[in-house]
Amino acid sequence: MNLHARFATQVGSLHLECDIRAEADTTVAVLGPNGAGKSTLLRVIAGLHRVDTGHVHLGDDVFDDTDAGRWMTPEERRVGFVFQDHGLFPHMTVLDNVAFGLRSRGVFRTTAREQARAWLERVDLASYASNRPSALSGGQTQRAALARALVTEPRVLLLDEPLAAVDASGKLDLRRALREHLRTFSGVRILVTHDPLEAASLAERVVILEDGRVTQEGEFSDVTARPRSAWIARMAGLNLLRGVVTDDVLLLEGGTAITVATDVRGPALATIHPRAVALYRRVPEGSPRNVLKGRVANVDPEGDRWRIQIDGPVPLVAEVTPVGGGELHLADGGDIFASVKATEIDVYAQ
Amino acid sequence: MNRGVTRRPLIGLVIPAAVAVLFIVVPLIGLLAHVDWPNLPSEVTSTDVLTALRLSLECSLLAVAFSVVIGVPLAYLLARTAIPGRRVVRALVTLPLVLPPVVGGIALQTALGTTTPIGTALHTLFGISLPFTTLGAAVAEAFVAFPFLVITVEAGLRQRDDHLEEVAATLGARPWRRFWLVTMPLAAPSIAAGAALCWARALGEFGATITFAGSFPGTTETLPIAAYSSFEGTGRVGEAITFSLVLLTISIVVLVLLRDRWLGALK
Repeated sequence: MNLHARFATQVGSLHLECDIRAEADTTVAVLGPNGAGKSTLLRVIAGLHRVDTGHVHLGDDVFDDTDAGRWMTPEERRVGFVFQDHGLFPHMTVLDNVAFGLRSRGVFRTTAREQARAWLERVDLASYASNRPSALSGGQTQRAALARALVTEPRVLLLDEPLAAVDASGKLDLRRALREHLRTFSGVRILVTHDPLEAASLAERVVILEDGRVTQEGEFSDVTARPRSAWIARMAGLNLLRGVVTDDVLLLEGGTAITVATDVRGPALATIHPRAVALYRRVPEGSPRNVLKGRVANVDPEGDRWRIQIDGPVPLVAEVTPVGGGELHLADGGDIFASVKATEIDVYAQ
Repeated sequence: MNRGVTRRPLIGLVIPAAVAVLFIVVPLIGLLAHVDWPNLPSEVTSTDVLTALRLSLECSLLAVAFSVVIGVPLAYLLARTAIPGRRVVRALVTLPLVLPPVVGGIALQTALGTTTPIGTALHTLFGISLPFTTLGAAVAEAFVAFPFLVITVEAGLRQRDDHLEEVAATLGARPWRRFWLVTMPLAAPSIAAGAALCWARALGEFGATITFAGSFPGTTETLPIAAYSSFEGTGRVGEAITFSLVLLTISIVVLVLLRDRWLGALK
């Protein structure tokens, strides 16, 4: 049973327009910066936001179809939604929270409570059954919300930043536990996150959503190896260049020509790893490399490396050792020459 | 740190502020000073007082019940939906708060009096007559008091958006189930606070009640009306003071019991 959502909708100043498919038994991570429309996408699938035009189908079921004038209410869709704030009902016990969905679908109280209790055991919360949600920690709340969504056996599971409300210390275990629980659910799974780590560890496929548009999709490793937008490149820690290749020369949009070694011709993207950028205070002589002049804009020590942000006609990020950075007095700023070997530039068609 | 300087009270403000406190305290002392303490137990349990007290409780509780039944739905619609004319309705609801109660009583009389179309219809259809009856006294009290409930409940509902109702919808709960199992339980504190305010107002209601329902002992003569008629009409000041003391006691109990709750809900 596949989910297909293709729609356009206006939310405040954001115009969200996407065409997203998700297969059963697969976790799709929708990754993107804040305000890109990720949560709205989930709200559209759940039926909490009605689109201006387009459709949302799950298998043969029509959730939403503006052309046919059809719309299914959220309660009819059988979509499990784990909200960013987890949304537990503060006036009910943890057990009644988990049993709520079953009770709403007409399951008798005792049966609903039994099933809810079984789920609480699965997520290690059995001892909190009669507590109010306020007694739970962030991680426990997340697990209770997950149990509440899964106990009703939904056809689609939506997770909105499931670990955002959890403090960093517990994240590692929770992420692993969440992956285990996701594996046991065989429906469509869509996870929204701004955290690349979450996307990489929980999802088989990522969809990058930026400013209301899908900019790239595929496996996480492929997407980060060959980013198609500045945001993805930054997330992957790569420098991204955009231009046109003719005869081993990449002519950048700003007019700078860079020598590359590639078979690609025409409009292309290119990445340079920050460690492949060598820095000099004076023009390196007799070098076969590309040399780009710029100014040191920022120095950011990160572990055993310094990340150097260089402004100029071609903005770049370079990584140097603290020793190298100290010798070049990079902390003082000033003019700098960045050199990159043609073979260190990965070029791919746009 | 200039806190020490700015925190020092201005003498020019202390005097009127002290007058304000005395303004509340002195009448209370006056009242208490004139209580005939030795005979109080027998006076409080006299038939007159008990009759008025029972009637007051009856009318005010009826008024609260009616206010909850009509006021909570109105508060919900005002807080959560985009019904047309919402601003006009909200302004209308606050009207009884500022309207002199006597005007309210006269308005009720002209609309629901025995000779009016509605009054006639009520009488022929249900055998109900409102003017000068206990039910009429309750209606008059409700008219004056129900805005307190609506305003408090609406404020309580507005404190929270409808996120948890959305959560309930994704869990399969239909609209009425969401209303009864999510919206209402979460609004319960503000409904309780609103009902308490509404009840306190209904209990002390005088102007609209006496205008619309008159002052018939045992039928419409509630505690405030009884206090007024003993004081003014027959000069039985002692009895008036006893009635007043009963009302004062009830007010203080309500205030103490609900001070946190309703002050919280009103914020």
